[in-house]
Amino acid sequence: MTDDTVQRTATVLLVLAALFAAWAGWSWYTAAHDDAHAYSRTRDTVLQAGEQAVQNLNTLDYRDLGSGLKTWQDSTTSDLYEEITRGRAAFEEQVAKAKTITRARVLDGAVAELDQRSGKARVLVAVEITITPPEGDPVTKQSRLIGELTRTPAGWKLSDLGQAPTGTL
Amino acid sequence: MAAPTTRLNAWRRANASWWRTGPARWRTGASSPIALGVVAVVLATFGVWALRQADAVRDDPSARNTALTDGAATSEVKGAVADMIGKVFSYNYTDPARTRDAARAALTGDAVRQYEAIFGRVRAEAPEAKTVLSTRVTDSAVTSLRGDRAEVLVFADQRTTRTTDGTSTNAPAMLTVTAVRRGGHWRIAALDTFAGR
Repeated sequence: MTDDTVQRTATVLLVLAALFAAWAGWSWYTAAHDDAHAYSRTRDTVLQAGEQAVQNLNTLDYRDLGSGLKTWQDSTTSDLYEEITRGRAAFEEQVAKAKTITRARVLDGAVAELDQRSGKARVLVAVEITITPPEGDPVTKQSRLIGELTRTPAGWKLSDLGQAPTGTL
Repeated sequence: MAAPTTRLNAWRRANASWWRTGPARWRTGASSPIALGVVAVVLATFGVWALRQADAVRDDPSARNTALTDGAATSEVKGAVADMIGKVFSYNYTDPARTRDAARAALTGDAVRQYEAIFGRVRAEAPEAKTVLSTRVTDSAVTSLRGDRAEVLVFADQRTTRTTDGTSTNAPAMLTVTAVRRGGHWRIAALDTFAGR
């Protein structure tokens, strides 16, 4: 092999390697910047935030009302936040008197709607709520909740939460 | 046509001279076969790494779940599940065959047994109480959708009317439905009513 042949072979290999690297890099770039993928990630973030917020809002211990209600406020935004803030004092008094401990467990949850542009989402959450009164056995009930989430600078937060309406047949 | 040919030849000559007689340092350094080989290896390594990254991104569970990202498929499975749930959990004592046929068409695998556990008693008591039960899905959302398999969270209302005494009760229900698509049709493969969990 002459020097020239070696040189040419090396050049060809380099060109092939460069093409391969460019193609692989492009493939990686498109995968990472895929809109559907970004949307999927947002959907999962929203669901996680929604389930956590629903659990937070259904958890309260009369012995630690301060931090419990702080968590409620931290999990919510706009109307729901206002509502909790406005009713906080009265509610605190009520729970302190009733001496109840409320715990929640999320059974299942799913995002029903997600609008990335406006930063709004609607989630369905199946939750099991256990209320322990000062005396007597704990009462467990299952609840169907529908939450509306809004994107805030501090992440997705609940802006509305309520029982799924019982439709009329 | 003379001019372009001349220009091309001139370019070739210039290129050749650049290639062969370029700055001595450049020639012995960067263009040596070893240097070219090293760069080729670096580029190839990057390529392999980038492809792996791309695969990792595509294999991400978030990305593989196409609930909502594939709007048409999400609506389709929601619609199919709502329809099936409505049919298999509705019952009229005057026409039990309708419910039975619907169940036979909609249920597969574990769902058959789970459905019996949920609905068996209702069906057994229905003829005597002359029960009419109608179930309607009020809301649903897809938890996961991967190819021909989907999980749907369903909120439904069940209205039971006992025609013997005319009383009717309304009960809210919620359940997770696992659906599978066979031959282009969605069927229910599992039902979870969160009982005893």
